[in-house]
Amino acid sequence: MKLVIDENRCKGCNLCTQVCPYRIFSPGARANRKGILVPVLDRPERCTNCRLQALYGRTLCGVCQLTCPDQAIGWVSERPYEPVRIEVEY
Amino acid sequence: MTRIEFMQGNAASAEGALAAGCRFFGGYPITPSTEVAELMARKMPKLGGVFVQMEDEIASIAAVIGAAWTGKKAMTATSGPGFSLMLENIGFAIMTETPLVIVNVQRGGPSTGQPTMSAQGDMLQCRFGSHGDMAILALAPDSVQEMYDLTVKAFNLAERFRCPAFLMADEIIGHMRERIDVPDRVEVVDRKPFVPGRLPFEADDDRVPGFPTFGQGHHTHVTGLTHDARGYPVTTDPAMHDALVRRLVGKVEDARREIADYRVTNPDAEVVFICYGAPARTVRQLVADRPDDGIGVLRLRLVWPFPEHALAEFPNARAFVVPEQNLGQIAREVERHVRVPVIPVSKLGGELHTPDELARVYEEVRAR
Amino acid sequence: MTFTDWLRADRLPHIWCSGCSNGTILNCTLAAVEAEGWDRDRTVFVSGIGCSSRAPGYVATDSLHTTHGRALAFATGVKLAEPSLNVVVFTGDGDLAAIGGNHFIHACRRNVDMTVVCMNNLIYGMTGGQGSPTTPLGALSTTTPYGASEPAFDLVALAVAAGANHVARWTAYHVKELEKAVKTGLETPGLSFIEVRAGCPTNYGRKNRIREVTDMADHFRTRSMLKTKYDRLVAEGKPVPADAIVVGEFVRRANPAMGVAP
Ligand SMILES: Cc1ncc(C[n+]2csc(CCOP(=O)(O)OP(=O)(O)O)c2C)c(N)n1
Ligand code: SF4
Ligand code: SF4
Ligand code: SF4
Ligand SMILES: [Mg+2]
Repeated sequence: MKLVIDENRCKGCNLCTQVCPYRIFSPGARANRKGILVPVLDRPERCTNCRLQALYGRTLCGVCQLTCPDQAIGWVSERPYEPVRIEVEY
Repeated sequence: MTRIEFMQGNAASAEGALAAGCRFFGGYPITPSTEVAELMARKMPKLGGVFVQMEDEIASIAAVIGAAWTGKKAMTATSGPGFSLMLENIGFAIMTETPLVIVNVQRGGPSTGQPTMSAQGDMLQCRFGSHGDMAILALAPDSVQEMYDLTVKAFNLAERFRCPAFLMADEIIGHMRERIDVPDRVEVVDRKPFVPGRLPFEADDDRVPGFPTFGQGHHTHVTGLTHDARGYPVTTDPAMHDALVRRLVGKVEDARREIADYRVTNPDAEVVFICYGAPARTVRQLVADRPDDGIGVLRLRLVWPFPEHALAEFPNARAFVVPEQNLGQIAREVERHVRVPVIPVSKLGGELHTPDELARVYEEVRAR
Repeated sequence: MTFTDWLRADRLPHIWCSGCSNGTILNCTLAAVEAEGWDRDRTVFVSGIGCSSRAPGYVATDSLHTTHGRALAFATGVKLAEPSLNVVVFTGDGDLAAIGGNHFIHACRRNVDMTVVCMNNLIYGMTGGQGSPTTPLGALSTTTPYGASEPAFDLVALAVAAGANHVARWTAYHVKELEKAVKTGLETPGLSFIEVRAGCPTNYGRKNRIREVTDMADHFRTRSMLKTKYDRLVAEGKPVPADAIVVGEFVRRANPAMGVAP
């Protein structure tokens, strides 16, 4: 699974930067086509849901997606699915 | 087959509603309409329907609209003060094309006025009372029989046009008791079903869309905002608003000839009475008292949309006399359509015109 | 399926301002109905008028966007006429507690089987930031330019007193707790009322020195106090901060209810 922000929906509120326990989101610096500073993702493969969704068959954590007021955060599946070992920093 | 009964007007309206398939009643007590609610409270549960006494008339009409979207035929009954409270949601029903019936047993206004006395002061309010341009359907019964028959008809019109229909009764007819023939079966019209694959507010040639009943998987968005055929709000497109309002008005107004419901007496007459509701009874007496005079009568059963073409049924008319229990609300409408004098005979206070009063006006007009 | 399957994707992005809590609360509510396994074909969302009341328009079910303040009366009609339908109401503080106050207490009294989610942003958002019945004393709005001088409603206390079977309060910061509270509401026969403290950055935050959207989230996080802790402080006679937002479940009971599917 791959974490993505839908640039067409994101309004740049930065709430995602506040809620992710891994601080995957950080405030964007460059305005997109709509003039929105879409947050940038820092090593999104660390996301719990990216790592474990396929294993558990349900959304894990998902706090950023629930919080995002603009329904801009989602996951796309990467095919073929390849398990990768991730070093998680606490 | 029919069954002969002796019944009160308000009870007849409730019986007519149940015969027409009404299975939801939401209301709030108000004289002189309360008996409709009381009868519904008794009978509805036995028929598997729902009666609910709401916290006010705004809530009553709201609940009725909500029930209508589940596919139920639904109604409420009220009088002036309650009717005034309903107006905003009546506009919502018009905009969302929700079929429903409102019985207004009219009493003297403005304000609390005369709770127990008859009036016809809400005839323009029902037509124009909510904000914005609109069209509605309004019937006016002149007997207990018509309280029954026209309530059935109100449901059928509401269902066909997906538009609120009003039974604009008055205290006299609502509270009088007389003989009524209760039919075993009545003709019942159901709303046009929604055809999956079409858009929820996409109208047919009759400008009425099929009804996407809630709970059937149509996922319809219903809003009082100006909306497109999908039901989605589009509030700043002038052409969209123009087309929607014209369709909502046109689907009813353009059917006026076809759905017109009136009674003509003595079409050759030179003096013609135009009447509806309780005053029609006095006019009937006047005509019976003077069988040789050939007095013309146009009695409206469906008042709105106004059947203007019916006025042409009296080619020799020199004058139209309009007795009403208001200061000339329908007389004003008649005036818009004719070149001959229109004489309102207004009577306020709750009592019916007497035959003598109408006779005096008749003599005077005839002598002109 | 996830909650995103309940969205009308063809209507997104929605009309709400950047950082408006309404979108978050919509997500949490949809996550709850999804977790509850409700059928999209048999669920109806109802609302009145306001920014918050636009929410049903973004849900891919039957939805009824009605008149200002009247959502609960419409919803009562839907639910009593067809108890087999699931009914969820979205409303705002002005919609619910000002113009719709009478319907609110009567819907709670009837205990009609539905779930009511109030996006309480302490302001009239849609009309540009006027004071509402929940605007706190001293708060600034366009109609309280010198600070609100009217005492505010406690919506939770109102719902409890009026008879709702389930009453909870959370904030838009508490997304998981909110989802759970809504889910409990869906499962509780009778009326479930969930007040959600919501941020309106445009018309409340800006005027009341909670300028950034993230400041509002911090405000919710730092001011919130669990009801259990609040009860303990009160029992011990200890002071409770005046601006504490008491969150948690306030009541859950099985009083007689209307419109419960057989
Ligand atoms: C009968 C009526 N009165 C007034 C309005 C104008 N109006 C629209 S939204 C609103 C206030 C909404 O406030 P709230 O319910 O708190 O919703 P919010 O926008 O804050 O989410 C008002 C007064 C209206 N639409 N209808
Ligand atoms: S929370 Fe959503 S809308 Fe806000 S910045 Fe993050 S992705 Fe964009
Ligand atoms: S799902 Fe959780 S871990 Fe993954 S990005 Fe969102 S907040 Fe971070
Ligand atoms: S005005 Fe306030 S409540 Fe309305 S959409 Fe904007 S932030 Fe949300
Ligand atoms: Mg508000």
